[in-house]
Amino acid sequence: MWSVSDDALIAGLAAGDQDAASAFVRRFQRRVFGLARTIVGDDRAAEDIAQEAFLRAWRHAAAYDPRRGSVVTWLLTITRNLSIDAVRVRRPTSFDPTSLLGFDHESTERGPDEFAQLGEDGARLRAALARLPAEQCRAIVLAGLLGHTAREVSEMEDIPLGTAKTRIRTALQRLRTALVTEERAE
Amino acid sequence: MSVYTCAQLREIAPELALGVLGGAERAEAIIHINGCARCQAHVNELTEVADALPLLAPEHEPPPGFERRVLAAGRTQRRRGTRRFVAAVAAAAAAAAILSITIVRVVDAGGERVSAAVPGRPVEVRMATVGVDQHPAGWAYVTDQHAIAVAVSYSSFPTGEYRLVATPKGGSRFTVDNMKVIEGHGSWTGVSRVPLSTGSSIELVDDQGNLVCHGTVPRAE
Repeated sequence: MWSVSDDALIAGLAAGDQDAASAFVRRFQRRVFGLARTIVGDDRAAEDIAQEAFLRAWRHAAAYDPRRGSVVTWLLTITRNLSIDAVRVRRPTSFDPTSLLGFDHESTERGPDEFAQLGEDGARLRAALARLPAEQCRAIVLAGLLGHTAREVSEMEDIPLGTAKTRIRTALQRLRTALVTEERAE
Repeated sequence: MSVYTCAQLREIAPELALGVLGGAERAEAIIHINGCARCQAHVNELTEVADALPLLAPEHEPPPGFERRVLAAGRTQRRRGTRRFVAAVAAAAAAAAILSITIVRVVDAGGERVSAAVPGRPVEVRMATVGVDQHPAGWAYVTDQHAIAVAVSYSSFPTGEYRLVATPKGGSRFTVDNMKVIEGHGSWTGVSRVPLSTGSSIELVDDQGNLVCHGTVPRAE
Protein backbone atom coordinates (compact mmCIF):
# COMPACT_ATOMS: atom_id res chain seq x y z
CA MET A 1 0.00 0.00 0.00
CA TRP A 2 2.96 2.35 0.65
CA SER A 3 3.94 2.32 -3.03
CA VAL A 4 0.47 3.41 -4.13
CA SER A 5 0.26 6.98 -5.48
CA ASP A 6 -1.44 9.74 -3.49
CA ASP A 7 -4.11 10.01 -6.19
CA ALA A 8 -4.87 6.28 -5.98
CA LEU A 9 -5.14 6.51 -2.20
CA ILE A 10 -7.63 9.36 -2.39
CA ALA A 11 -9.69 7.36 -4.92
CA GLY A 12 -9.69 4.44 -2.47
CA LEU A 13 -10.72 6.78 0.33
CA ALA A 14 -13.62 8.08 -1.78
CA ALA A 15 -14.73 4.50 -2.42
CA GLY A 16 -14.70 3.70 1.31
CA ASP A 17 -11.74 1.32 1.16
CA GLN A 18 -10.48 0.79 4.73
CA ASP A 19 -6.94 -0.15 3.69
CA ALA A 20 -6.68 3.02 1.62
CA ALA A 21 -8.01 5.09 4.53
CA SER A 22 -5.47 3.56 6.87
CA ALA A 23 -2.58 4.13 4.44
CA PHE A 24 -3.78 7.69 3.77
CA VAL A 25 -3.72 8.58 7.48
CA ARG A 26 -0.35 6.90 8.00
CA ARG A 27 1.18 8.68 5.01
CA PHE A 28 0.11 12.20 5.95
CA GLN A 29 -0.44 12.22 9.72
CA ARG A 30 3.00 13.68 10.54
CA ARG A 31 2.52 16.52 8.07
CA VAL A 32 -1.05 17.27 9.12
CA PHE A 33 -0.33 17.13 12.84
CA GLY A 34 2.92 19.10 12.37
CA LEU A 35 1.14 21.92 10.52
CA ALA A 36 -1.72 22.12 13.04
CA ARG A 37 0.80 22.15 15.91
CA THR A 38 2.84 24.89 14.22
CA ILE A 39 -0.20 27.13 13.91
CA VAL A 40 -2.06 26.48 17.17
CA GLY A 41 1.00 25.77 19.34
CA ASP A 42 -0.80 23.19 21.45
CA ASP A 43 -0.63 19.40 21.09
CA ARG A 44 -4.14 18.66 22.36
CA ALA A 45 -5.80 21.22 20.07
CA ALA A 46 -3.56 20.16 17.19
CA GLU A 47 -4.70 16.55 17.55
CA ASP A 48 -8.38 17.55 17.40
CA ILE A 49 -7.71 19.70 14.33
CA ALA A 50 -5.66 16.97 12.62
CA GLN A 51 -8.45 14.43 13.21
CA GLU A 52 -11.08 16.81 11.82
CA ALA A 53 -8.87 17.50 8.78
CA PHE A 54 -8.70 13.78 7.97
CA LEU A 55 -12.45 13.35 8.47
CA ARG A 56 -13.16 16.24 6.10
CA ALA A 57 -10.76 14.79 3.54
CA TRP A 58 -12.55 11.44 3.89
CA ARG A 59 -15.97 13.10 3.48
CA HIS A 60 -14.94 15.14 0.45
CA ALA A 61 -12.46 12.74 -1.19
CA ALA A 62 -14.76 12.28 -4.19
CA ALA A 63 -14.63 16.04 -4.82
CA TYR A 64 -10.80 16.18 -4.93
CA ASP A 65 -9.68 17.60 -8.27
CA PRO A 66 -6.02 16.84 -9.16
CA ARG A 67 -5.98 19.74 -11.62
CA ARG A 68 -6.19 22.17 -8.69
CA GLY A 69 -3.15 20.85 -6.83
CA SER A 70 -1.58 17.80 -5.26
CA VAL A 71 -3.25 15.67 -2.60
CA VAL A 72 -0.85 16.90 0.08
CA THR A 73 -1.43 20.61 -0.64
CA TRP A 74 -5.22 19.97 -0.68
CA LEU A 75 -5.06 18.19 2.68
CA LEU A 76 -2.75 20.82 4.19
CA THR A 77 -5.01 23.63 3.00
CA ILE A 78 -7.90 21.97 4.88
CA THR A 79 -5.65 21.67 7.94
CA ARG A 80 -4.43 25.26 7.70
CA ASN A 81 -7.96 26.66 7.45
CA LEU A 82 -9.17 24.62 10.44
CA SER A 83 -6.11 25.68 12.46
CA ILE A 84 -6.54 29.36 11.63
CA ASP A 85 -10.22 29.20 12.60
CA ALA A 86 -9.20 27.64 15.92
CA VAL A 87 -6.65 30.33 16.84
CA ARG A 88 -8.49 33.33 15.43
CA VAL A 89 -9.57 34.42 18.90
CA ARG A 90 -6.26 33.86 20.64
CA ARG A 91 -3.46 35.06 18.43
CA PRO A 92 0.12 34.83 19.64
CA THR A 93 1.57 38.34 19.64
CA SER A 94 5.32 38.02 19.35
CA PHE A 95 7.59 35.35 17.95
CA ASP A 96 10.03 34.86 15.13
CA PRO A 97 8.18 33.10 12.29
CA THR A 98 11.42 31.96 10.71
CA SER A 99 12.34 30.07 13.87
CA LEU A 100 8.98 28.27 13.61
CA LEU A 101 10.16 26.86 10.34
CA GLY A 102 13.20 25.43 12.07
CA PHE A 103 16.00 27.08 10.15
CA ASP A 104 18.43 29.94 10.49
CA HIS A 105 17.33 32.55 8.00
CA GLU A 106 20.89 33.75 7.43
CA SER A 107 21.99 30.33 6.20
CA THR A 108 20.88 28.84 2.91
CA GLU A 109 22.75 25.57 3.60
CA ARG A 110 20.36 22.72 4.31
CA GLY A 111 21.11 19.15 5.18
CA PRO A 112 20.00 16.46 2.71
CA ASP A 113 17.74 14.84 5.32
CA GLU A 114 15.88 18.10 5.82
CA PHE A 115 15.26 18.48 2.10
CA ALA A 116 14.19 14.85 1.73
CA GLN A 117 11.64 15.29 4.50
CA LEU A 118 10.15 18.37 2.85
CA GLY A 119 9.72 16.78 -0.55
CA GLU A 120 10.78 18.41 -3.81
CA ASP A 121 8.23 21.26 -3.77
CA GLY A 122 8.76 22.05 -0.12
CA ALA A 123 12.54 22.03 -0.46
CA ARG A 124 12.47 24.42 -3.42
CA LEU A 125 10.06 26.68 -1.61
CA ARG A 126 12.17 26.74 1.53
CA ALA A 127 15.30 27.53 -0.47
CA ALA A 128 13.47 30.40 -2.20
CA LEU A 129 12.14 31.64 1.14
CA ALA A 130 15.64 31.65 2.62
CA ARG A 131 16.81 33.98 -0.15
CA LEU A 132 14.21 36.63 0.77
CA PRO A 133 15.10 39.55 3.07
CA ALA A 134 14.25 38.58 6.66
CA GLU A 135 11.39 41.09 6.98
CA GLN A 136 9.71 39.76 3.82
CA CYS A 137 10.21 36.19 4.99
CA ARG A 138 8.48 36.98 8.28
CA ALA A 139 5.62 38.79 6.53
CA ILE A 140 4.89 35.93 4.13
CA VAL A 141 5.08 33.28 6.87
CA LEU A 142 2.79 35.30 9.14
CA ALA A 143 0.22 35.80 6.38
CA GLY A 144 0.63 32.69 4.24
CA LEU A 145 1.25 30.01 6.85
CA LEU A 146 -0.31 31.46 10.00
CA GLY A 147 -3.21 33.28 8.32
CA HIS A 148 -2.62 36.80 9.65
CA THR A 149 -4.14 39.71 7.73
CA ALA A 150 -1.92 42.55 6.51
CA ARG A 151 -3.26 44.72 9.35
CA GLU A 152 -2.28 42.09 11.92
CA VAL A 153 1.16 41.78 10.34
CA SER A 154 1.60 45.56 10.53
CA GLU A 155 0.71 45.52 14.25
CA MET A 156 2.91 42.55 15.05
CA GLU A 157 5.86 43.96 13.15
CA ASP A 158 5.14 47.54 14.25
CA ILE A 159 5.18 48.86 10.71
CA PRO A 160 2.66 50.90 8.65
CA LEU A 161 -0.15 48.92 6.97
CA GLY A 162 1.13 49.90 3.52
CA THR A 163 4.58 48.53 4.35
CA ALA A 164 3.08 45.23 5.55
CA LYS A 165 1.07 44.91 2.33
CA THR A 166 4.16 45.67 0.25
CA ARG A 167 6.25 43.06 2.09
CA ILE A 168 3.59 40.38 1.65
CA ARG A 169 3.10 41.22 -2.02
CA THR A 170 6.81 41.41 -2.84
CA ALA A 171 7.58 38.20 -0.97
CA LEU A 172 4.88 36.16 -2.71
CA GLN A 173 5.82 37.49 -6.13
CA ARG A 174 9.51 36.72 -5.49
CA LEU A 175 8.68 33.19 -4.40
CA ARG A 176 6.61 32.75 -7.53
CA THR A 177 9.41 34.09 -9.73
CA ALA A 178 12.01 31.90 -8.02
CA LEU A 179 9.93 28.74 -8.42
CA VAL A 180 9.04 29.44 -12.05
CA THR A 181 12.68 30.23 -12.90
CA GLU A 182 13.80 26.94 -11.29
CA GLU A 183 11.15 24.98 -13.16
CA ARG A 184 12.25 26.45 -16.48
CA ALA A 185 15.91 25.76 -15.71
CA GLU A 186 15.19 22.01 -15.19
CA MET B 1 -19.38 45.86 -11.91
CA SER B 2 -16.19 45.77 -9.79
CA VAL B 3 -14.88 48.87 -8.06
CA TYR B 4 -11.29 47.73 -8.71
CA THR B 5 -9.19 48.46 -11.77
CA CYS B 6 -6.72 45.81 -12.93
CA ALA B 7 -3.84 47.79 -11.37
CA GLN B 8 -5.64 47.92 -8.01
CA LEU B 9 -6.47 44.23 -8.21
CA ARG B 10 -2.78 43.39 -8.77
CA GLU B 11 -1.97 45.28 -5.55
CA ILE B 12 -4.21 43.06 -3.43
CA ALA B 13 -3.89 39.84 -5.46
CA PRO B 14 -1.28 38.32 -3.07
CA GLU B 15 -3.56 38.81 -0.05
CA LEU B 16 -6.46 37.32 -2.02
CA ALA B 17 -4.32 34.31 -2.98
CA LEU B 18 -3.19 33.86 0.64
CA GLY B 19 -6.81 33.99 1.86
CA VAL B 20 -6.18 36.91 4.25
CA LEU B 21 -8.18 39.63 2.52
CA GLY B 22 -11.09 41.14 4.49
CA GLY B 23 -14.68 40.26 3.54
CA ALA B 24 -15.67 43.40 1.59
CA GLU B 25 -12.35 43.67 -0.28
CA ARG B 26 -12.46 39.98 -1.05
CA ALA B 27 -15.98 40.21 -2.46
CA GLU B 28 -15.00 43.12 -4.73
CA ALA B 29 -11.83 41.34 -5.83
CA ILE B 30 -13.78 38.21 -6.75
CA ILE B 31 -16.26 40.27 -8.76
CA HIS B 32 -13.31 41.72 -10.69
CA ILE B 33 -11.52 38.44 -11.41
CA ASN B 34 -14.75 36.75 -12.45
CA GLY B 35 -14.91 39.28 -15.28
CA CYS B 36 -11.19 39.55 -16.08
CA ALA B 37 -9.37 36.49 -17.39
CA ARG B 38 -5.89 38.08 -17.10
CA CYS B 39 -6.28 39.01 -13.43
CA GLN B 40 -7.85 35.60 -12.76
CA ALA B 41 -4.80 33.90 -14.29
CA HIS B 42 -2.50 36.10 -12.19
CA VAL B 43 -4.33 35.21 -8.96
CA ASN B 44 -4.27 31.52 -9.92
CA GLU B 45 -0.48 31.67 -10.35
CA LEU B 46 -0.05 33.25 -6.92
CA THR B 47 -2.48 30.78 -5.37
CA GLU B 48 -0.28 27.89 -6.52
CA VAL B 49 2.57 29.31 -4.42
CA ALA B 50 0.27 30.23 -1.52
CA ASP B 51 -1.13 26.70 -1.39
CA ALA B 52 2.39 25.29 -1.14
CA LEU B 53 3.36 27.39 1.90
CA PRO B 54 1.92 24.92 4.47
CA LEU B 55 4.51 22.41 3.17
CA LEU B 56 7.08 24.48 5.09
CA ALA B 57 5.74 23.53 8.52
CA PRO B 58 7.89 20.90 10.27
CA GLU B 59 6.47 17.40 10.47
CA HIS B 60 5.65 16.04 13.91
CA GLU B 61 4.65 12.59 15.16
CA PRO B 62 1.06 12.68 16.50
CA PRO B 63 0.24 11.11 19.90
CA PRO B 64 0.02 7.28 20.06
CA GLY B 65 -3.29 5.86 18.83
CA PHE B 66 -4.00 8.82 16.53
CA GLU B 67 -4.44 6.68 13.39
CA ARG B 68 -6.79 4.28 15.20
CA ARG B 69 -8.94 7.15 16.52
CA VAL B 70 -9.19 8.80 13.10
CA LEU B 71 -10.21 5.53 11.41
CA ALA B 72 -12.84 4.78 14.08
CA ALA B 73 -14.31 8.28 13.72
CA GLY B 74 -14.23 7.91 9.92
CA ARG B 75 -16.15 4.62 10.05
CA THR B 76 -18.78 6.20 12.32
CA GLN B 77 -19.08 9.17 9.97
CA ARG B 78 -19.50 6.86 7.00
CA ARG B 79 -22.13 4.68 8.69
CA ARG B 80 -24.09 7.77 9.71
CA GLY B 81 -24.03 9.10 6.15
CA THR B 82 -25.05 5.73 4.68
CA ARG B 83 -27.88 5.24 7.19
CA ARG B 84 -29.20 8.72 6.46
CA PHE B 85 -29.16 8.07 2.72
CA VAL B 86 -30.74 4.60 2.95
CA ALA B 87 -33.47 6.11 5.14
CA ALA B 88 -34.02 8.90 2.59
CA VAL B 89 -34.29 6.41 -0.30
CA ALA B 90 -36.74 4.21 1.63
CA ALA B 91 -38.79 7.26 2.58
CA ALA B 92 -38.74 8.48 -1.03
CA ALA B 93 -39.98 5.15 -2.39
CA ALA B 94 -42.71 4.97 0.27
CA ALA B 95 -43.70 8.58 -0.39
CA ALA B 96 -43.96 7.87 -4.13
CA ALA B 97 -46.41 5.03 -3.42
CA ILE B 98 -48.48 7.14 -0.99
CA LEU B 99 -48.59 10.04 -3.44
CA SER B 100 -49.67 7.66 -6.15
CA ILE B 101 -52.61 6.39 -4.03
CA THR B 102 -53.58 10.01 -3.39
CA ILE B 103 -53.56 10.79 -7.08
CA VAL B 104 -55.83 7.82 -7.86
CA ARG B 105 -58.28 8.91 -5.14
CA VAL B 106 -58.32 12.49 -6.40
CA VAL B 107 -58.98 11.29 -9.94
CA ASP B 108 -61.71 8.97 -8.63
CA ALA B 109 -63.30 11.78 -6.67
CA GLY B 110 -63.30 13.91 -9.81
CA GLY B 111 -65.54 11.38 -11.47
CA GLU B 112 -63.00 10.51 -14.14
CA ARG B 113 -62.37 6.99 -15.26
CA VAL B 114 -59.03 5.56 -14.24
CA SER B 115 -57.41 2.63 -15.91
CA ALA B 116 -56.25 1.04 -12.66
CA ALA B 117 -58.06 0.82 -9.35
CA VAL B 118 -54.79 0.30 -7.50
CA PRO B 119 -51.68 2.41 -7.88
CA GLY B 120 -48.84 1.23 -10.08
CA ARG B 121 -45.44 0.21 -8.79
CA PRO B 122 -42.76 2.92 -8.57
CA VAL B 123 -40.37 2.97 -11.53
CA GLU B 124 -36.78 3.42 -10.40
CA VAL B 125 -34.74 6.12 -12.18
CA ARG B 126 -31.02 5.98 -11.53
CA MET B 127 -29.54 9.46 -11.20
CA ALA B 128 -25.92 10.04 -12.27
CA THR B 129 -23.56 13.00 -12.40
CA VAL B 130 -22.87 14.58 -15.77
CA GLY B 131 -19.49 14.45 -17.54
CA VAL B 132 -17.15 11.64 -18.40
CA ASP B 133 -17.26 9.83 -15.06
CA GLN B 134 -21.07 9.59 -14.62
CA HIS B 135 -20.91 8.76 -10.89
CA PRO B 136 -24.07 7.28 -9.34
CA ALA B 137 -25.77 10.15 -7.50
CA GLY B 138 -29.01 8.64 -6.14
CA TRP B 139 -32.46 7.63 -7.35
CA ALA B 140 -35.80 9.06 -8.35
CA TYR B 141 -38.99 7.02 -8.18
CA VAL B 142 -41.88 7.77 -10.52
CA THR B 143 -45.26 6.17 -9.85
CA ASP B 144 -48.21 6.36 -12.25
CA GLN B 145 -46.20 8.91 -14.24
CA HIS B 146 -47.02 11.71 -11.77
CA ALA B 147 -45.84 10.90 -8.25
CA ILE B 148 -42.14 11.64 -7.93
CA ALA B 149 -39.76 10.99 -5.06
CA VAL B 150 -36.09 11.90 -5.38
CA ALA B 151 -33.15 11.08 -3.09
CA VAL B 152 -29.70 12.24 -4.18
CA SER B 153 -26.36 11.65 -2.49
CA TYR B 154 -23.01 12.79 -3.84
CA SER B 155 -20.41 14.35 -1.56
CA SER B 156 -19.33 17.05 -4.02
CA PHE B 157 -22.80 18.56 -4.38
CA PRO B 158 -22.45 21.83 -2.46
CA THR B 159 -25.07 22.64 0.14
CA GLY B 160 -27.72 24.92 -1.33
CA GLU B 161 -30.97 25.30 -3.21
CA TYR B 162 -31.33 23.33 -6.45
CA ARG B 163 -34.05 23.08 -9.09
CA LEU B 164 -35.70 19.77 -9.92
CA VAL B 165 -36.35 19.89 -13.64
CA ALA B 166 -38.23 17.38 -15.80
CA THR B 167 -38.58 16.92 -19.53
CA PRO B 168 -41.48 14.64 -20.61
CA LYS B 169 -40.71 12.46 -23.62
CA GLY B 170 -41.43 14.64 -26.64
CA GLY B 171 -42.44 17.55 -24.40
CA SER B 172 -40.98 20.78 -23.05
CA ARG B 173 -38.59 21.10 -20.10
CA PHE B 174 -40.19 22.51 -16.94
CA THR B 175 -39.26 23.11 -13.31
CA VAL B 176 -41.00 20.68 -10.97
CA ASP B 177 -39.93 22.41 -7.75
CA ASN B 178 -36.93 23.59 -5.74
CA MET B 179 -35.01 21.11 -3.65
CA LYS B 180 -32.48 21.58 -0.84
CA VAL B 181 -29.21 19.67 -0.72
CA ILE B 182 -27.32 19.64 2.59
CA GLU B 183 -23.79 18.20 2.81
CA GLY B 184 -24.30 16.24 -0.39
CA HIS B 185 -27.69 14.77 0.56
CA GLY B 186 -31.15 15.87 -0.51
CA SER B 187 -34.64 14.46 -1.03
CA TRP B 188 -37.94 15.69 -2.41
CA THR B 189 -41.38 14.20 -2.89
CA GLY B 190 -44.31 15.65 -4.80
CA VAL B 191 -46.39 15.52 -7.94
CA SER B 192 -45.50 16.38 -11.51
CA ARG B 193 -48.21 18.34 -13.32
CA VAL B 194 -47.15 16.67 -16.57
CA PRO B 195 -46.98 12.86 -16.97
CA LEU B 196 -43.44 11.48 -17.02
CA SER B 197 -43.59 8.35 -19.14
CA THR B 198 -40.75 6.10 -20.33
CA GLY B 199 -37.93 8.18 -21.86
CA SER B 200 -38.71 11.32 -19.84
CA SER B 201 -35.76 12.87 -18.03
CA ILE B 202 -35.34 14.19 -14.49
CA GLU B 203 -32.53 16.62 -13.70
CA LEU B 204 -31.08 18.50 -10.76
CA VAL B 205 -29.80 21.99 -11.62
CA ASP B 206 -27.75 24.21 -9.27
CA ASP B 207 -28.35 27.90 -8.59
CA GLN B 208 -25.93 28.84 -11.38
CA GLY B 209 -27.99 26.89 -13.90
CA ASN B 210 -25.51 24.01 -14.13
CA LEU B 211 -26.85 20.50 -14.56
CA VAL B 212 -25.40 18.42 -11.69
CA CYS B 213 -27.10 15.06 -12.14
CA HIS B 214 -29.81 13.47 -14.24
CA GLY B 215 -31.68 10.27 -15.00
CA THR B 216 -34.10 8.86 -17.60
CA VAL B 217 -37.35 7.10 -16.75
CA PRO B 218 -36.92 3.47 -17.89
CA ARG B 219 -39.62 1.14 -19.17
CA ALA B 220 -41.69 -0.19 -16.26
CA GLU B 221 -41.02 -3.87 -15.52
